Amino acid sequence: MMTKALIEHIEGEASLYFDTRGEKITWAEIAFPHFRGMERMLEGRKATDALVITPRVCGICGHAHLMATVRAIEAAYAQAGYPVELTRKARSIRELTLVLEMIQNHFKWLYLVILPELEKLGVGGISPAPLKGAYAAAQATKILALFAGQWPHSSYMIPGGVTCDPTHLERIQAAGLLDELIGFFEKETAGVGLDALLSFASCREFNPLQSDLGRLEKGLIATEMHKKGMAYDRFVVLGEHGFTVRARLKHTRPMKADPSQVSTEPAVCRDETSHARNVRYGKHFYEVGPLARSISADTALIKNMHRRYKDSVYTRVMARAYETAVLLQHAKTLLAELELSEPSYVPPAPLERISAEGEGIVEAPRGPLMHRMRLERGIVAEYGIITPTQWNLGSSVMSDPAPAQKAMVGAADIAEATFVFRSFDVCSVCTTH
Amino acid sequence: MRSRLFKPTLIWLQGVTCNGNTHSFLNLPYLPQLLARFEILYHPLLPCSQNLEEIARCRRGCDVLVFEGAFDPMMERAGVTLERLVAYYAEEAGHVIAAGSCASFGGIFKAAAPERNSGLAYAGEHPDGPLLGKAGKVINLSGCPVHPEWLGFALMNIAEGRPISVDALGRPTALYRHMAHDGCLRNEYFEWKVDAEQFGRKEGCLFYEHGCRGPLTHASCNRTLWNGVSSKMRVGTPCFGCTEPDFPRRNLFETKTNMSIPEEVPVGVSKRAYLTMTGIAKSFKIKRLEERLTDDD
Ligand code: SF4
Ligand code: SF4
Repeated sequence: MMTKALIEHIEGEASLYFDTRGEKITWAEIAFPHFRGMERMLEGRKATDALVITPRVCGICGHAHLMATVRAIEAAYAQAGYPVELTRKARSIRELTLVLEMIQNHFKWLYLVILPELEKLGVGGISPAPLKGAYAAAQATKILALFAGQWPHSSYMIPGGVTCDPTHLERIQAAGLLDELIGFFEKETAGVGLDALLSFASCREFNPLQSDLGRLEKGLIATEMHKKGMAYDRFVVLGEHGFTVRARLKHTRPMKADPSQVSTEPAVCRDETSHARNVRYGKHFYEVGPLARSISADTALIKNMHRRYKDSVYTRVMARAYETAVLLQHAKTLLAELELSEPSYVPPAPLERISAEGEGIVEAPRGPLMHRMRLERGIVAEYGIITPTQWNLGSSVMSDPAPAQKAMVGAADIAEATFVFRSFDVCSVCTTH
Repeated sequence: MRSRLFKPTLIWLQGVTCNGNTHSFLNLPYLPQLLARFEILYHPLLPCSQNLEEIARCRRGCDVLVFEGAFDPMMERAGVTLERLVAYYAEEAGHVIAAGSCASFGGIFKAAAPERNSGLAYAGEHPDGPLLGKAGKVINLSGCPVHPEWLGFALMNIAEGRPISVDALGRPTALYRHMAHDGCLRNEYFEWKVDAEQFGRKEGCLFYEHGCRGPLTHASCNRTLWNGVSSKMRVGTPCFGCTEPDFPRRNLFETKTNMSIPEEVPVGVSKRAYLTMTGIAKSFKIKRLEERLTDDD
């Protein structure tokens, strides 16, 4: 029997179509119905206009799109023989604001999506407090805005650097706000100090925690999520950053990853037109996101979880929640090491001279985000975007399911399958753009 | 005393959108207090009493309809067209809020599909759209995205039963009578016609060469700072005029000039007067405005 479920609270909606035997899920297809035409509208525009348009692909990760765009333009400069010079300062400010966007995303997902959904599965004592997520996210975006001007939808990264020129005043303000946010995270989310949490080596260490993270961990075990939702146990990280390592992984074994191996095709759904795409590396589907990043970065705790519970919902969810701590720590380091004396911006060659192709890749909250463009004398001739959710949430045929499809098969019922689906942090707007 | 206990019901619907207005709203510092003043029947992210499928059945109206995103009549939410959803909920609602430039004028997604998409009561600056006949009800909170404090202001006024006066494009005058330029820290440079030599500096104005639309844009971004702390111009990014019906324009990081004078001059100033003034201002050489301000970094 085919059953349809409408999934919302995922930056738009998706439809899931289930084949079931009894209650059990035997097959699932995924459709994303909304399409907006972002790539086409860039054609014919000056490449720098893309810095204003592409953040509007997504209200929750627009900054990642901005960074992918600026990296793609800079790559085109390099290909055309005019390499762009970036100061260390410009690099670290860009990375800092990106990391803060990831932090706000993770807080929202944990408090507005995952904890309430876990409670719906019948786990007691979760007491979800969605507004905590909004509060913490707003603190993170406040720090971000000190450098980027605003969030969402800033356009402060430009070829050659950043437009801002922060002084120690902003740096100290930012450090104060970040300490406050870390304090909130320690008290409310973790129930333990950041340093202590970051030194966790085994899931047992969550046992004594009376905190949201502690309740999350127990709830996932209570619902047996450590035995469910396995995908391929293959991962890809493509963005290059200080908090993870570019790699392709089979289980935990890393190999080189080459972005030119990435390809896409339209997603398949028998019952509804879907505007999503399937993304593969070589011939295969891979999972992307915080779990991939943590394994690639050799994060002790997540590797321990993976050793016990493989790429289950438990490991996937805990990896995302735990990455918040890793990123808070990374933000702190970036801020402390920020060298303000360097220039923010080194003017590049005139854009009109650039006829070339460029690719920009960043790790967005949900995984690698790729922008590819072709420029003719500085004007966009072609623009293509591959988003992380397309990797995880494609929809393919039974003999070759996309990661989320594979993870949902075998779920006890529809409620459980949709929780598995949400463990990937679904984003409808990015999936279709 | 009924008014104190009475909670207006609110439904937040989405058209063609990036969800940026939803996320912008979550930055409102007094979000919990504001939410407590309403009964939230539906919101795409926040806790609410109904789900999208229930909303799509169109059984019970609401007092306040917030609409985010461009209007595409054929787009469906839970299998029901926006045309039907908007018509149904706007009929009963006392107030309709167009949250953001897409809902107000069509914005980015009108630019992506001009033949289909529009705002609720305007397509660009032309009165058009499904709620044209009810334009009196529609409060346009343009901005890409809407500033959380602007939405907070409109909703609090509604909760308190206070009328909101609007300009010719349906935007609350209290928020849009200022120019984005108002309160910009670069105003002194603007007055003496000193442009920022390049991006990445706190000195200089971005109007003359770098595309800033601050003096041409109705918005209070520099009076009520973004995320409580900043604005585009504070971090050296030009204003792109995102609250105006012609957003997104083209060549956003450049100023179109005519003999090195910007082709468009600040709203309300005659071009001739502006040219004369520019000539005079430029003849002053103000050393302080030509040097870098700090060496502490
Ligand atoms: S940068 Fe823009 S807003 Fe600021 S003073 Fe110059 S023109 Fe006005
Ligand atoms: S400064 Fe200009 S572009 Fe930026 S948010 Fe305000 S009105 Fe929009």
